[in-house]
Amino acid sequence: MAEVRMTNINKSFGAVEVIPDLSLTIPDGSFSVLVGPSGCGKSTLLRMIAGLEDVSAGEIHIAGEDVTGAKPSDRGIAMVFQSYALYPHMSVRQNIGFGLKLAKTPKDEINRRVGEAAEILQLGPLLDRKPRQLSGGQRQRVAIGRSIVRKPKVFLFDEPLSNLDAALRTQMRVELAELHAKLNATMIYVTHDQVEAMTMADQIVIMKDGIIQQVGRPMELYNAPQNPFVAGFIGSPRMNLIEGRIAEARKSKILGIRPEHIDVSPDAGEWEGRLRYVEHLGSDTVAYVDSEAAGRITVRLPGEVAISTGDAVFLTPRANNIHLFRADGTVERA
Amino acid sequence: MARTAHTSLWQRWAQDDQLRMILIFVPPAILVFTVFVMMPMLQAGFFAPWKWSGYGPAPWAMNETTQTTFGRWVGDRNFERMLGHSAFRQAVWNSGLVIAVSLLVQLPLALALALMIYRTSRANTVFRLIFFLPYILAEVATGLIFAFALDGNYGLSAWLSQLVGLEEAWFPLAERPWAYYSILAVLVWKYFGFHMMIYIAGLQSINSELLESAEIDGATSWQKAWYIKIPLIWPAITVSIFYSVLGALQVFDLVMPMTAGGPSNSSHTLVSYLYNFGFIRLDVGFGSAVGVFLFVTGVVFALAYRNTVQRGQ
Amino acid sequence: MSRMFTWADAARIIVLLAVSFLILMPIAAAVLGGFKTNGELRVSPFGLPEVWHLQFYGEILGGRRFWVYLGNSFFISIMTVGLTLVLGSMCAFAFAQTRFFGSRFLFGYLLLGLMFPVAAAIMPLFLTVRDLGLLDTAWGVILPQVAFGLAFSIMFFRTFFKEMPSELFDAARVDGCSYIRFYFTFTLPLSTPILATIAVFVFVQSWNNYLLPLIMLNDREGYTWTLGAMDFRGEYAAEWNRTLAFVSATLAPAVVFFLAAQKYIVSGLTGGAVKG
Repeated sequence: MAEVRMTNINKSFGAVEVIPDLSLTIPDGSFSVLVGPSGCGKSTLLRMIAGLEDVSAGEIHIAGEDVTGAKPSDRGIAMVFQSYALYPHMSVRQNIGFGLKLAKTPKDEINRRVGEAAEILQLGPLLDRKPRQLSGGQRQRVAIGRSIVRKPKVFLFDEPLSNLDAALRTQMRVELAELHAKLNATMIYVTHDQVEAMTMADQIVIMKDGIIQQVGRPMELYNAPQNPFVAGFIGSPRMNLIEGRIAEARKSKILGIRPEHIDVSPDAGEWEGRLRYVEHLGSDTVAYVDSEAAGRITVRLPGEVAISTGDAVFLTPRANNIHLFRADGTVERA
Repeated sequence: MARTAHTSLWQRWAQDDQLRMILIFVPPAILVFTVFVMMPMLQAGFFAPWKWSGYGPAPWAMNETTQTTFGRWVGDRNFERMLGHSAFRQAVWNSGLVIAVSLLVQLPLALALALMIYRTSRANTVFRLIFFLPYILAEVATGLIFAFALDGNYGLSAWLSQLVGLEEAWFPLAERPWAYYSILAVLVWKYFGFHMMIYIAGLQSINSELLESAEIDGATSWQKAWYIKIPLIWPAITVSIFYSVLGALQVFDLVMPMTAGGPSNSSHTLVSYLYNFGFIRLDVGFGSAVGVFLFVTGVVFALAYRNTVQRGQ
Repeated sequence: MSRMFTWADAARIIVLLAVSFLILMPIAAAVLGGFKTNGELRVSPFGLPEVWHLQFYGEILGGRRFWVYLGNSFFISIMTVGLTLVLGSMCAFAFAQTRFFGSRFLFGYLLLGLMFPVAAAIMPLFLTVRDLGLLDTAWGVILPQVAFGLAFSIMFFRTFFKEMPSELFDAARVDGCSYIRFYFTFTLPLSTPILATIAVFVFVQSWNNYLLPLIMLNDREGYTWTLGAMDFRGEYAAEWNRTLAFVSATLAPAVVFFLAAQKYIVSGLTGGAVKG
């Protein structure tokens, strides 16, 4: 059991309260992603789990054990940093084996375990190189290798893909998911990129200003966001969040409708508008429509659609995809 | 032909503002550097085989009135005399001691203190300023202060002598080898802060994630210092070693107020030896010979160091 | 993880305080010594004075010599700083912005100066200054100081100038700005940090210099304060309190200057030293 449980965590830097009061359980063996805009406290939370940051109040349990005051190395965790944090003066082999060497593991045991990790990550031929002789993706793998070799109960990732280019990032997403399947360990992953969260997570934790906004499976968050922030954060292009007359007509404060849940017609529909700008992506067509009733609305149409700027169009939101956010914080879905 | 070259030069001057800039900006610095650094250095080499008081334009020039050269050719005798002089050997040994003390005492001390106070905090800033303060003080002022503190009639040594109950007060600056050991101690006092600042700069530029990663790997403070911090600031350490060796060859200002080379020439450094036996006696050839020795030592060290320890940095 | 105050922390603070004490004690003893009579100095070299005698400081600060020495040192230091900055930055600008025939050679030639111990050439340097008629003038100290500081300052300036965005220069060229004009209107104003850093280091070195003034200056009227302090020590050999008062009086400007300029001192050490 390597469940991570946080109870009534509080974190303040001097007078600034970064995390007011947070409780969260990361299930054993899950791939949980902490996501939110920068400054939302997700990295601080991860660093508290790692023990790199003191907890001002509250408790952290890993695998049922209270680790709130424990040293990072005694928590059974491993961490992959944004900068990879490879020791530049050590070879790949030394980097991976450093933690074992500090733990006074016998030499041949170190060699065996470094070999295993290298095999899992296909690092064999690179073992005697220095980090600066490696590409970004290879460095990333070494950083992961360094965490695997410790056989931790929990893996922590702090925005590990943000220094890679787009193509490599996609590839590493797949590799990380495979690694999770292979190791079957608990992984906690911090990112500000909702695509990474959606593609890799079993469980997504959305945070804002140190407060958890919603916890759930990716499709739960997509289909049933509990508040406008989550609604706007998950999904690309962003959900249209419409205030004013249209929302009030349905007895709510904000009406949300995803761009892919709006039908477009040249002659009839609920809202009339004019096309301001069209993006042709090939697989999709994204249209920005200025309407009298609803303001600027983003619409996403599958495939290539022959429309162009200046056209007059009518928009109709699909009734059973409408999210209504009421002033009292409740949500209604058709 | 000459005419066209002439006009084209003028044209280039008028049109090519890059050339104009180079011709205005570069020569003054080169001129000053050549006249006051390179020429004297070269001249030292030419003067070294002469016996010359400095009178006249050059030792090899003919004096119209006496019909002889101003100086007397002595070949390598200046070097022979220098190498055979016990005070010179003492000075070489003393300069070597400065290097040894720098490497074995001063730099480790500076490194240890840098590790203690490199993190940013108000208290650390105060300590940094205090430790760096001696570097700012003039050598002469430092020397005078310590000449007082080590004067058997007054300062520290008087107090110590009384404490131990000595009949006669101890005058370390008048006693060999303590006179020179005192200078060495003051050198450490004065310069460790400079090296400490170099290390602090290096330590502060270490990516904090590396240290956190080491912490997760289970490294203690000692292990972090030994396996991560010191290897990572190695370039800064090599720079500070370079400065301290070249600096050791040039110690002079501290010697004069503290011992002026005494007692019985036991506390000379290379430069104070040069000053005393070359400059004071206006023995230009001999002074130049010592200068050549100093120069060769410095350059050989610098080149060897750059090509071995600092290679690839 | 709430950290407790550990024995390691305690040991660290004790070491730091001990080192601080070793540094501050001699300086404090010197400053206080100037307030004591010679007799009291013998009995209590490090304690607070029983009676604060102001006359020793008073005589020094009230006399003319002290101020003449300080003035000479100040003039020499200021001129050294000014010339080093002007000559060094112009030359470094040429090396940083352009590559001309022999530029690599000339730069290497200047860098040779980094390896030379200043004192090695002191005898021929003395003769050069004598033959130029500069003995016993401030320029006899200033010019050699500038020459020996050029290698360092040019290296630092060139590194700094090279790190300035080259688009800026390209944009100015497109606007029709000449090299010389660019130097004055862009390079210099944008380089104040490095100018200040070099200025502080050159100033401190010149202010504290002893060897060059000792060789070049014979006339008391032209003495720098370092020569003056040694002279004073010789004159009042039996009265340490006067010498300590003199030295302490010269510490004040150094310490004030240090506190005012510490930002640039630190950045000088951090900027150049680590890059080597």
